[in-house]
Amino acid sequence: MSSTPGNEPLLEWPAKYNEVPKQVFEMDELWPKELETIFYGAEWHPIVHRAEIPNPGDYKAAELGEMPIFAVHGDDGAIRVFQNTCTHRGTSLVTESSGNKKEFECPYHRWLFSLEGDLVGCPNSRDFTPDFDKKNFSLFQLRTEEFCGLYFVTMSDKTPPLKEYLGESFYEPLSRVLGGDGRLKLAGYQKVMYDCNWKAYCDNDGYHAPLLHKAFALLNWQGGKGFQRISENGHLTFESELKIPDEITALKDGSILDFKGTTTSTGSIVQMQFPLTVYSKHMDMLNIRYAFPKGPKGIEVHYAYFTHEDDNDEMIRHRIRQSSNLLGPCGLISMEDASVFSRIDKGNKTPGNAIFQKGVQDEYALSFEVKQNDESGNLPRWEHYRKLMGFKRAAQ
Amino acid sequence: MSSSITLIENLNRDYICALDSLDMSAWLACFNLKGRYTFISEENERRGFPIAFMLDDCYERLQDRVTQVVEIQSDSTEHYQTRHFTQLVSVSETDNGLINAVFNYSIYYTQRDNNLTKILCVGQYFDTIKLDGDNASYIERKAVTDTNVLPRYTAYPV
Ligand code: FES
Ligand SMILES: [Fe+2]
Repeated sequence: MSSTPGNEPLLEWPAKYNEVPKQVFEMDELWPKELETIFYGAEWHPIVHRAEIPNPGDYKAAELGEMPIFAVHGDDGAIRVFQNTCTHRGTSLVTESSGNKKEFECPYHRWLFSLEGDLVGCPNSRDFTPDFDKKNFSLFQLRTEEFCGLYFVTMSDKTPPLKEYLGESFYEPLSRVLGGDGRLKLAGYQKVMYDCNWKAYCDNDGYHAPLLHKAFALLNWQGGKGFQRISENGHLTFESELKIPDEITALKDGSILDFKGTTTSTGSIVQMQFPLTVYSKHMDMLNIRYAFPKGPKGIEVHYAYFTHEDDNDEMIRHRIRQSSNLLGPCGLISMEDASVFSRIDKGNKTPGNAIFQKGVQDEYALSFEVKQNDESGNLPRWEHYRKLMGFKRAAQ
Repeated sequence: MSSSITLIENLNRDYICALDSLDMSAWLACFNLKGRYTFISEENERRGFPIAFMLDDCYERLQDRVTQVVEIQSDSTEHYQTRHFTQLVSVSETDNGLINAVFNYSIYYTQRDNNLTKILCVGQYFDTIKLDGDNASYIERKAVTDTNVLPRYTAYPV
Protein backbone atom coordinates (compact mmCIF):
# COMPACT_ATOMS: atom_id res chain seq x y z
CA MET A 1 0.00 0.00 0.00
CA SER A 2 2.78 2.43 0.87
CA SER A 3 4.37 2.83 -2.55
CA THR A 4 2.63 2.29 -5.82
CA PRO A 5 3.95 2.90 -9.31
CA GLY A 6 2.94 5.86 -11.44
CA ASN A 7 0.83 8.63 -10.01
CA GLU A 8 -1.31 6.50 -7.74
CA PRO A 9 -1.83 8.19 -4.40
CA LEU A 10 0.31 6.80 -1.61
CA LEU A 11 -2.61 6.02 0.59
CA GLU A 12 -6.30 5.20 0.34
CA TRP A 13 -8.50 6.94 2.87
CA PRO A 14 -11.21 5.02 4.78
CA ALA A 15 -14.83 5.46 3.65
CA LYS A 16 -15.89 6.68 7.06
CA TYR A 17 -15.25 10.32 7.88
CA ASN A 18 -14.42 9.54 11.50
CA GLU A 19 -11.56 7.22 10.61
CA VAL A 20 -7.96 8.23 9.99
CA PRO A 21 -5.46 5.66 8.74
CA LYS A 22 -2.73 5.28 11.37
CA GLN A 23 -0.21 4.96 8.55
CA VAL A 24 -0.63 8.66 7.89
CA PHE A 25 1.49 9.32 10.97
CA GLU A 26 4.14 6.80 10.02
CA MET A 27 4.79 7.02 6.28
CA ASP A 28 7.93 9.08 5.75
CA GLU A 29 7.22 9.25 2.02
CA LEU A 30 4.29 11.60 2.64
CA TRP A 31 6.62 14.37 3.80
CA PRO A 32 7.81 15.70 0.39
CA LYS A 33 4.21 15.93 -0.75
CA GLU A 34 3.18 17.65 2.49
CA LEU A 35 5.95 20.18 2.02
CA GLU A 36 4.81 20.94 -1.50
CA THR A 37 1.05 21.07 -0.97
CA ILE A 38 0.82 22.40 2.58
CA PHE A 39 3.95 24.16 3.81
CA TYR A 40 4.82 25.64 0.40
CA GLY A 41 1.20 25.69 -0.74
CA ALA A 42 -1.72 28.07 -0.40
CA GLU A 43 -1.72 28.39 3.41
CA TRP A 44 -0.71 31.21 5.76
CA HIS A 45 1.88 30.43 8.44
CA PRO A 46 2.52 32.73 11.44
CA ILE A 47 6.21 33.56 11.83
CA VAL A 48 6.68 36.38 14.28
CA HIS A 49 4.82 38.86 16.43
CA ARG A 50 6.03 42.46 16.35
CA ALA A 51 6.60 42.16 20.12
CA GLU A 52 9.32 39.59 19.43
CA ILE A 53 11.31 42.00 17.26
CA PRO A 54 10.21 45.43 18.58
CA ASN A 55 13.21 47.52 17.46
CA PRO A 56 14.79 48.33 14.10
CA GLY A 57 17.43 45.72 13.34
CA ASP A 58 15.80 43.03 15.48
CA TYR A 59 15.48 39.75 13.66
CA LYS A 60 14.12 36.27 14.32
CA ALA A 61 15.04 33.13 12.42
CA ALA A 62 12.46 30.47 11.66
CA GLU A 63 11.66 27.71 9.22
CA LEU A 64 8.86 27.27 6.76
CA GLY A 65 8.74 23.56 6.03
CA GLU A 66 12.42 22.87 5.45
CA MET A 67 13.19 26.37 4.19
CA PRO A 68 15.17 28.66 6.52
CA ILE A 69 13.70 32.15 6.72
CA PHE A 70 14.06 35.18 8.95
CA ALA A 71 11.92 38.15 9.89
CA VAL A 72 13.49 41.60 10.26
CA HIS A 73 12.29 44.87 11.70
CA GLY A 74 13.43 47.47 9.15
CA ASP A 75 14.69 50.99 9.71
CA ASP A 76 11.42 52.11 8.16
CA GLY A 77 9.46 50.28 10.87
CA ALA A 78 8.16 47.63 8.48
CA ILE A 79 8.59 43.93 9.22
CA ARG A 80 9.67 41.77 6.30
CA VAL A 81 10.31 38.06 6.01
CA PHE A 82 13.17 36.81 3.82
CA GLN A 83 14.59 33.48 2.81
CA ASN A 84 17.70 32.99 4.91
CA THR A 85 20.06 32.78 1.97
CA CYS A 86 22.51 35.09 0.28
CA THR A 87 21.46 35.94 -3.27
CA HIS A 88 25.02 35.31 -4.49
CA ARG A 89 25.76 31.63 -3.90
CA GLY A 90 23.34 30.83 -1.16
CA THR A 91 25.23 31.04 2.14
CA SER A 92 22.83 31.40 5.06
CA LEU A 93 22.80 34.93 6.40
CA VAL A 94 21.69 34.66 10.01
CA THR A 95 22.90 31.86 12.21
CA GLU A 96 21.41 32.79 15.59
CA SER A 97 17.75 32.27 16.47
CA SER A 98 17.40 36.00 17.14
CA GLY A 99 19.44 39.16 17.51
CA ASN A 100 19.94 42.71 16.34
CA LYS A 101 21.96 43.84 13.32
CA LYS A 102 22.52 47.06 11.42
CA GLU A 103 22.79 45.15 8.16
CA PHE A 104 23.31 41.59 7.04
CA GLU A 105 26.73 40.78 5.71
CA CYS A 106 27.39 37.48 3.99
CA PRO A 107 30.75 36.19 5.27
CA TYR A 108 31.63 34.36 2.04
CA HIS A 109 32.20 37.17 -0.50
CA ARG A 110 31.04 40.04 1.71
CA TRP A 111 27.83 40.96 -0.02
CA LEU A 112 25.98 43.37 2.22
CA PHE A 113 22.20 43.61 2.58
CA SER A 114 20.20 46.35 4.27
CA LEU A 115 17.52 45.65 6.87
CA GLU A 116 15.03 46.16 4.04
CA GLY A 117 16.66 43.38 2.04
CA ASP A 118 18.40 45.51 -0.60
CA LEU A 119 21.85 44.55 -1.81
CA VAL A 120 23.86 47.63 -0.84
CA GLY A 121 27.40 46.41 -1.32
CA CYS A 122 29.33 43.72 -3.20
CA PRO A 123 33.13 43.96 -3.53
CA ASN A 124 34.76 43.56 -6.97
CA SER A 125 31.51 43.87 -8.85
CA ARG A 126 33.26 45.31 -11.92
CA ASP A 127 34.37 41.73 -12.64
CA PHE A 128 30.78 40.45 -12.51
CA THR A 129 28.57 39.62 -15.49
CA PRO A 130 28.27 42.63 -17.85
CA ASP A 131 24.65 43.40 -17.03
CA PHE A 132 24.97 42.80 -13.29
CA ASP A 133 22.69 45.13 -11.37
CA LYS A 134 22.44 45.19 -7.58
CA LYS A 135 18.72 45.88 -7.89
CA ASN A 136 18.18 42.34 -9.16
CA PHE A 137 19.86 40.77 -6.16
CA SER A 138 17.72 41.85 -3.22
CA LEU A 139 16.94 39.16 -0.66
CA PHE A 140 14.05 36.86 -1.58
CA GLN A 141 11.06 38.27 0.26
CA LEU A 142 8.02 36.19 1.15
CA ARG A 143 4.47 37.35 0.72
CA THR A 144 3.47 38.64 4.14
CA GLU A 145 0.31 39.83 5.90
CA GLU A 146 -0.20 41.06 9.42
CA PHE A 147 -3.00 40.69 11.96
CA CYS A 148 -2.87 42.28 15.46
CA GLY A 149 0.91 42.49 15.19
CA LEU A 150 1.31 38.86 14.09
CA TYR A 151 3.03 38.36 10.73
CA PHE A 152 2.08 35.46 8.47
CA VAL A 153 3.80 34.26 5.30
CA THR A 154 2.77 32.17 2.34
CA MET A 155 4.72 30.77 -0.59
CA SER A 156 1.73 30.89 -2.94
CA ASP A 157 0.23 33.89 -4.66
CA LYS A 158 -3.06 31.99 -4.79
CA THR A 159 -3.56 32.05 -1.02
CA PRO A 160 -6.62 34.23 -0.28
CA PRO A 161 -6.08 37.42 1.75
CA LEU A 162 -5.28 36.55 5.37
CA LYS A 163 -8.58 37.61 6.95
CA GLU A 164 -10.55 35.73 4.35
CA TYR A 165 -8.35 32.69 4.85
CA LEU A 166 -8.79 32.72 8.64
CA GLY A 167 -12.45 33.71 8.60
CA GLU A 168 -14.10 35.99 11.13
CA SER A 169 -14.97 33.15 13.51
CA PHE A 170 -11.22 32.53 13.80
CA TYR A 171 -9.60 35.94 13.66
CA GLU A 172 -11.97 37.61 16.12
CA PRO A 173 -11.03 35.27 19.02
CA LEU A 174 -7.41 35.37 17.80
CA SER A 175 -7.42 39.12 18.35
CA ARG A 176 -8.33 38.45 21.99
CA VAL A 177 -5.50 35.91 22.36
CA LEU A 178 -3.27 38.68 21.03
CA GLY A 179 -4.37 41.01 23.81
CA GLY A 180 -7.29 42.59 21.95
CA ASP A 181 -5.19 45.11 20.06
CA GLY A 182 -1.91 43.29 19.52
CA ARG A 183 0.00 45.66 21.85
CA LEU A 184 2.01 42.88 23.42
CA LYS A 185 5.41 42.50 25.03
CA LEU A 186 7.41 39.31 24.74
CA ALA A 187 7.88 37.60 28.11
CA GLY A 188 9.96 34.71 26.80
CA TYR A 189 9.92 31.26 25.25
CA GLN A 190 9.77 27.65 26.23
CA LYS A 191 11.20 25.44 23.49
CA VAL A 192 10.94 21.69 23.26
CA MET A 193 11.25 18.82 20.83
CA TYR A 194 8.42 16.32 20.68
CA ASP A 195 9.10 12.88 19.35
CA CYS A 196 6.20 12.51 16.95
CA ASN A 197 4.98 13.22 13.45
CA TRP A 198 3.69 16.79 13.08
CA LYS A 199 0.15 15.57 12.49
CA ALA A 200 0.14 13.66 15.77
CA TYR A 201 1.09 16.93 17.41
CA CYS A 202 -1.62 19.04 15.82
CA ASP A 203 -4.26 16.36 16.23
CA ASN A 204 -3.73 16.35 19.97
CA ASP A 205 -2.44 19.72 21.05
CA GLY A 206 -4.84 22.58 21.23
CA TYR A 207 -8.13 21.41 22.47
CA HIS A 208 -9.11 17.92 23.55
CA ALA A 209 -11.42 16.36 26.06
CA PRO A 210 -10.42 17.28 29.62
CA LEU A 211 -10.40 13.62 30.73
CA LEU A 212 -6.65 13.52 30.18
CA HIS A 213 -6.01 16.09 32.81
CA LYS A 214 -5.93 14.68 36.25
CA ALA A 215 -5.06 18.20 37.39
CA PHE A 216 -8.53 19.40 36.39
CA ALA A 217 -10.19 16.78 38.55
CA LEU A 218 -7.77 17.21 41.40
CA LEU A 219 -8.27 20.95 41.39
CA ASN A 220 -12.02 20.37 41.16
CA TRP A 221 -11.88 22.45 38.02
CA GLN A 222 -14.75 21.73 35.73
CA GLY A 223 -15.03 23.24 32.31
CA GLY A 224 -17.58 26.01 32.05
CA LYS A 225 -19.96 26.53 29.17
CA GLY A 226 -18.35 26.72 25.80
CA PHE A 227 -18.34 25.91 22.12
CA GLN A 228 -16.15 24.89 19.20
CA ARG A 229 -16.16 26.49 15.78
CA ILE A 230 -14.60 24.79 12.79
CA SER A 231 -13.94 25.99 9.30
CA GLU A 232 -13.81 24.05 6.08
CA ASN A 233 -10.11 24.75 5.67
CA GLY A 234 -9.35 23.10 8.98
CA HIS A 235 -9.09 25.92 11.52
CA LEU A 236 -10.65 25.32 14.90
CA THR A 237 -11.59 27.65 17.72
CA PHE A 238 -12.63 26.53 21.15
CA GLU A 239 -13.92 28.97 23.68
CA SER A 240 -15.24 28.47 27.19
CA GLU A 241 -15.90 30.04 30.52
CA LEU A 242 -13.59 29.09 33.32
CA LYS A 243 -15.01 27.60 36.46
CA ILE A 244 -12.25 27.61 38.97
CA PRO A 245 -13.33 26.78 42.51
CA ASP A 246 -12.90 29.52 45.10
CA GLU A 247 -10.74 27.30 47.20
CA ILE A 248 -8.17 24.99 45.73
CA THR A 249 -7.25 22.50 48.41
CA ALA A 250 -4.84 20.44 46.32
CA LEU A 251 -2.40 23.33 46.03
CA LYS A 252 -0.76 25.35 48.78
CA ASP A 253 -0.44 28.34 46.47
CA GLY A 254 -3.65 28.62 44.49
CA SER A 255 -2.73 32.07 43.21
CA ILE A 256 -1.15 30.69 40.04
CA LEU A 257 -4.67 29.69 38.99
CA ASP A 258 -6.16 33.15 39.54
CA PHE A 259 -8.03 34.69 36.66
CA LYS A 260 -7.55 38.43 36.83
CA GLY A 261 -9.10 39.22 33.48
CA THR A 262 -12.20 41.33 33.51
CA THR A 263 -14.70 38.85 32.12
CA THR A 264 -15.00 35.12 32.70
CA SER A 265 -16.75 34.61 29.38
CA THR A 266 -13.40 34.44 27.66
CA GLY A 267 -11.57 32.55 30.37
CA SER A 268 -10.31 30.03 27.88
CA ILE A 269 -9.65 30.32 24.14
CA VAL A 270 -7.76 27.63 22.27
CA GLN A 271 -7.28 27.85 18.54
CA MET A 272 -5.65 25.52 16.06
CA GLN A 273 -4.77 27.11 12.76
CA PHE A 274 -4.18 24.72 9.89
CA PRO A 275 -1.74 23.13 9.49
CA LEU A 276 -0.21 23.19 12.96
CA THR A 277 -0.21 26.41 14.98
CA VAL A 278 -1.92 26.65 18.35
CA TYR A 279 -2.91 29.91 20.00
CA SER A 280 -4.23 29.94 23.51
CA LYS A 281 -5.47 32.26 26.17
CA HIS A 282 -6.11 30.35 29.36
CA MET A 283 -6.84 32.58 32.31
CA ASP A 284 -4.23 35.34 31.94
CA MET A 285 -1.73 33.51 29.72
CA LEU A 286 -1.28 34.80 26.18
CA ASN A 287 0.46 32.11 24.17
CA ILE A 288 1.46 31.39 20.57
CA ARG A 289 2.90 27.93 19.83
CA TYR A 290 5.09 28.16 16.76
CA ALA A 291 5.69 24.63 15.53
CA PHE A 292 8.44 23.43 13.22
CA PRO A 293 8.34 19.87 11.88
CA LYS A 294 11.82 18.37 11.60
CA GLY A 295 11.00 16.21 8.62
CA PRO A 296 8.44 13.41 8.98
CA LYS A 297 9.53 12.63 12.54
CA GLY A 298 9.94 15.08 15.36
CA ILE A 299 8.49 18.52 15.86
CA GLU A 300 10.05 21.48 17.62
CA VAL A 301 7.55 23.68 19.42
CA HIS A 302 8.32 27.20 20.58
CA TYR A 303 5.82 28.40 23.17
CA ALA A 304 5.99 32.20 23.09
CA TYR A 305 4.38 34.02 26.02
CA PHE A 306 3.34 37.63 26.18
CA THR A 307 2.27 40.34 28.54
CA HIS A 308 0.23 43.39 27.48
CA GLU A 309 1.68 46.88 27.22
CA ASP A 310 -0.99 48.19 29.60
CA ASP A 311 -0.31 45.61 32.33
CA ASN A 312 0.69 46.91 35.74
CA ASP A 313 3.57 45.24 37.63
CA GLU A 314 1.25 42.92 39.50
CA MET A 315 -0.37 41.68 36.31
CA ILE A 316 3.00 41.15 34.62
CA ARG A 317 4.24 39.12 37.57
CA HIS A 318 1.02 37.12 37.60
CA ARG A 319 1.16 36.31 33.88
CA ILE A 320 4.79 35.23 34.21
CA ARG A 321 4.14 32.92 37.18
CA GLN A 322 1.10 31.44 35.50
CA SER A 323 2.72 30.94 32.10
CA SER A 324 5.89 29.44 33.58
CA ASN A 325 4.05 26.90 35.68
CA LEU A 326 0.86 25.92 33.91
CA LEU A 327 1.70 25.54 30.21
CA GLY A 328 4.48 24.15 28.07
CA PRO A 329 6.66 21.05 28.34
CA CYS A 330 6.65 21.09 32.15
CA GLY A 331 3.26 22.69 32.79
CA LEU A 332 0.76 21.64 35.41
CA ILE A 333 -2.12 21.56 32.94
CA SER A 334 -0.29 20.67 29.75
CA MET A 335 2.52 18.23 30.42
CA GLU A 336 0.11 15.34 29.94
CA ASP A 337 -0.60 16.62 26.45
CA ALA A 338 3.06 16.22 25.66
CA SER A 339 3.08 12.70 26.99
CA VAL A 340 0.20 11.86 24.68
CA PHE A 341 2.04 13.07 21.55
CA SER A 342 4.75 10.47 21.82
CA ARG A 343 2.43 7.73 23.06
CA ILE A 344 0.03 8.29 20.18
CA ASP A 345 2.97 8.11 17.85
CA LYS A 346 4.15 4.81 19.27
CA GLY A 347 0.65 3.37 19.27
CA ASN A 348 0.12 4.32 15.66
CA LYS A 349 2.79 1.92 14.48
CA THR A 350 0.00 -0.65 14.38
CA PRO A 351 -2.35 -1.48 11.50
CA GLY A 352 -5.80 -0.02 11.02
CA ASN A 353 -7.44 3.30 11.63
CA ALA A 354 -7.67 5.75 14.47
CA ILE A 355 -11.40 6.06 15.08
CA PHE A 356 -13.04 9.22 16.39
CA GLN A 357 -16.23 8.72 18.39
CA LYS A 358 -17.35 11.60 20.55
CA GLY A 359 -19.73 13.83 18.67
CA VAL A 360 -19.89 11.70 15.52
CA GLN A 361 -23.53 11.35 14.44
CA ASP A 362 -23.10 10.06 10.92
CA GLU A 363 -19.92 8.22 10.04
CA TYR A 364 -20.44 8.87 6.34
CA ALA A 365 -20.83 12.63 6.50
CA LEU A 366 -18.73 15.53 7.63
CA SER A 367 -20.42 17.67 10.24
CA PHE A 368 -19.56 21.19 11.29
CA GLU A 369 -21.99 21.00 14.20
CA VAL A 370 -19.74 20.19 17.09
CA LYS A 371 -20.36 20.46 20.79
CA GLN A 372 -17.89 21.75 23.33
CA ASN A 373 -16.16 18.50 24.25
CA ASP A 374 -16.59 16.59 20.98
CA GLU A 375 -13.49 15.15 19.39
CA SER A 376 -15.19 15.36 16.00
CA GLY A 377 -13.93 18.95 15.74
CA ASN A 378 -10.70 17.49 14.34
CA LEU A 379 -12.42 15.83 11.40
CA PRO A 380 -12.78 18.84 9.08
CA ARG A 381 -9.03 19.34 9.37
CA TRP A 382 -8.43 15.75 8.34
CA GLU A 383 -10.81 16.15 5.43
CA HIS A 384 -8.98 19.30 4.35
CA TYR A 385 -5.67 17.44 4.62
CA ARG A 386 -7.01 14.44 2.66
CA LYS A 387 -8.14 16.68 -0.18
CA LEU A 388 -4.89 18.64 -0.33
CA MET A 389 -2.91 15.40 -0.44
CA GLY A 390 -5.16 13.92 -3.11
CA PHE A 391 -6.03 10.74 -1.21
CA LYS A 392 -9.16 9.03 -2.50
CA ARG A 393 -11.85 8.08 -0.03
CA ALA A 394 -12.71 4.38 -0.32
CA ALA A 395 -16.19 3.48 -1.58
CA GLN A 396 -18.77 3.03 1.15
CA MET B 1 36.01 28.53 53.51
CA SER B 2 37.04 24.90 53.10
CA SER B 3 34.50 23.72 55.65
CA SER B 4 31.77 25.75 53.96
CA ILE B 5 32.74 24.19 50.62
CA THR B 6 32.14 20.80 52.18
CA LEU B 7 28.70 21.94 53.32
CA ILE B 8 27.90 23.30 49.87
CA GLU B 9 29.05 20.10 48.19
CA ASN B 10 27.03 18.01 50.63
CA LEU B 11 23.93 20.06 49.97
CA ASN B 12 24.38 19.69 46.24
CA ARG B 13 24.92 15.95 46.68
CA ASP B 14 21.70 15.64 48.67
CA TYR B 15 19.93 17.58 45.95
CA ILE B 16 21.08 15.52 42.97
CA CYS B 17 20.68 12.22 44.80
CA ALA B 18 17.13 13.22 45.73
CA LEU B 19 16.31 13.82 42.06
CA ASP B 20 18.07 10.73 40.74
CA SER B 21 16.10 8.61 43.18
CA LEU B 22 12.99 10.74 42.62
CA ASP B 23 12.62 11.36 46.32
CA MET B 24 10.73 14.62 46.11
CA SER B 25 10.50 15.19 49.84
CA ALA B 26 14.28 14.94 50.05
CA TRP B 27 14.42 17.46 47.18
CA LEU B 28 12.14 19.82 49.12
CA ALA B 29 14.28 19.37 52.24
CA CYS B 30 17.22 21.04 50.47
CA PHE B 31 15.37 24.38 50.57
CA ASN B 32 14.65 26.53 53.58
CA LEU B 33 11.36 28.37 54.12
CA LYS B 34 12.57 31.30 51.99
CA GLY B 35 13.54 28.85 49.24
CA ARG B 36 13.01 29.44 45.54
CA TYR B 37 13.65 27.23 42.54
CA THR B 38 13.82 28.26 38.88
CA PHE B 39 14.50 26.19 35.78
CA ILE B 40 15.01 28.58 32.87
CA SER B 41 16.59 28.54 29.42
CA GLU B 42 19.90 30.28 28.85
CA GLU B 43 18.22 32.18 26.00
CA ASN B 44 15.56 33.73 28.25
CA GLU B 45 18.08 34.42 31.01
CA ARG B 46 20.53 36.13 28.64
CA ARG B 47 17.87 38.21 26.92
CA GLY B 48 16.21 39.22 30.18
CA PHE B 49 12.97 37.32 29.60
CA PRO B 50 11.45 36.02 32.82
CA ILE B 51 9.54 33.03 31.43
CA ALA B 52 10.88 29.82 32.94
CA PHE B 53 10.20 26.11 32.48
CA MET B 54 9.53 25.93 36.21
CA LEU B 55 9.14 28.93 38.49
CA ASP B 56 8.74 28.11 42.15
CA ASP B 57 9.18 31.53 43.68
CA CYS B 58 8.00 30.73 47.21
CA TYR B 59 8.02 27.77 49.57
CA GLU B 60 4.37 26.96 48.83
CA ARG B 61 5.24 26.62 45.14
CA LEU B 62 8.05 24.23 46.05
CA GLN B 63 5.55 22.16 48.00
CA ASP B 64 3.17 22.25 45.04
CA ARG B 65 6.00 21.08 42.76
CA VAL B 66 6.23 17.97 44.92
CA THR B 67 2.44 17.47 44.67
CA GLN B 68 2.57 17.93 40.90
CA VAL B 69 5.27 15.29 40.43
CA VAL B 70 4.06 12.80 43.01
CA GLU B 71 0.28 13.06 42.77
CA ILE B 72 -0.94 14.99 39.77
CA GLN B 73 1.21 13.83 36.89
CA SER B 74 2.61 10.51 38.06
CA ASP B 75 0.26 8.35 36.00
CA SER B 76 0.70 10.09 32.65
CA THR B 77 4.46 10.61 32.81
CA GLU B 78 6.61 8.18 30.86
CA HIS B 79 9.13 7.75 33.60
CA TYR B 80 12.77 8.46 32.87
CA GLN B 81 15.76 7.79 35.06
CA THR B 82 18.05 10.79 35.44
CA ARG B 83 21.72 10.98 36.41
CA HIS B 84 23.04 14.37 37.43
CA PHE B 85 26.76 15.14 37.07
CA THR B 86 27.91 18.34 38.70
CA GLN B 87 31.09 20.30 39.21
CA LEU B 88 31.54 23.23 41.57
CA VAL B 89 33.09 26.09 39.60
CA SER B 90 32.70 29.14 41.82
CA VAL B 91 32.05 30.05 45.46
CA SER B 92 31.86 33.45 47.08
CA GLU B 93 30.47 34.97 50.24
CA THR B 94 27.98 37.82 50.07
CA ASP B 95 28.00 40.89 52.35
CA ASN B 96 25.16 39.54 54.44
CA GLY B 97 26.88 36.25 55.15
CA LEU B 98 25.24 34.09 52.50
CA ILE B 99 27.12 31.96 50.00
CA ASN B 100 26.86 32.24 46.24
CA ALA B 101 27.91 29.11 44.39
CA VAL B 102 27.91 28.03 40.76
CA PHE B 103 27.91 24.42 39.63
CA ASN B 104 28.12 23.14 36.07
CA TYR B 105 25.69 20.32 35.46
CA SER B 106 24.98 17.74 32.82
CA ILE B 107 21.99 15.49 33.13
CA TYR B 108 21.47 12.22 31.29
CA TYR B 109 18.17 10.44 31.07
CA THR B 110 17.22 6.89 30.27
CA GLN B 111 13.69 6.07 29.26
CA ARG B 112 12.27 2.78 30.37
CA ASP B 113 10.57 2.05 27.07
CA ASN B 114 13.71 1.92 24.93
CA ASN B 115 16.48 2.02 27.55
CA LEU B 116 18.50 4.43 25.46
CA THR B 117 20.46 7.12 27.25
CA LYS B 118 20.46 10.69 26.01
CA ILE B 119 21.33 14.11 27.36
CA LEU B 120 18.41 15.90 28.98
CA CYS B 121 20.19 19.22 29.43
CA VAL B 122 23.47 20.89 30.24
CA GLY B 123 23.92 24.15 32.10
CA GLN B 124 24.73 25.82 35.39
CA TYR B 125 23.18 26.06 38.82
CA PHE B 126 23.32 29.52 40.38
CA ASP B 127 22.87 29.03 44.10
CA THR B 128 22.28 31.26 47.07
CA ILE B 129 22.92 29.23 50.19
CA LYS B 130 22.35 29.83 53.85
CA LEU B 131 24.83 28.26 56.25
CA ASP B 132 23.65 27.70 59.77
CA GLY B 133 26.24 25.87 61.82
CA ASP B 134 26.50 22.47 60.18
CA ASN B 135 23.37 22.99 58.17
CA ALA B 136 23.23 24.33 54.60
CA SER B 137 20.06 25.06 52.67
CA TYR B 138 19.04 26.81 49.48
CA ILE B 139 17.53 30.25 49.50
CA GLU B 140 17.67 29.97 45.76
CA ARG B 141 18.69 27.39 43.21
CA LYS B 142 18.40 28.62 39.65
CA ALA B 143 19.07 26.02 36.97
CA VAL B 144 19.95 27.83 33.75
CA THR B 145 20.04 25.43 30.81
CA ASP B 146 22.21 25.89 27.73
CA THR B 147 19.90 23.34 26.12
CA ASN B 148 17.44 25.96 24.94
CA VAL B 149 15.33 23.32 23.21
CA LEU B 150 14.56 20.54 25.65
CA PRO B 151 14.66 17.08 24.04
CA ARG B 152 11.38 15.98 25.64
CA TYR B 153 8.75 17.17 28.08
CA THR B 154 10.28 17.39 31.49
CA ALA B 155 8.33 16.12 34.43
CA TYR B 156 10.88 16.51 37.21
CA PRO B 157 12.94 19.45 38.39
CA VAL B 158 16.58 19.32 37.33
S1 FES C 1 27.65 33.58 -1.12
FE1 FES C 1 27.19 35.38 -0.09
S2 FES C 1 28.60 36.77 -0.83
FE2 FES C 1 29.01 35.00 -1.99
FE1 LIG D 1 -4.59 19.59 27.38
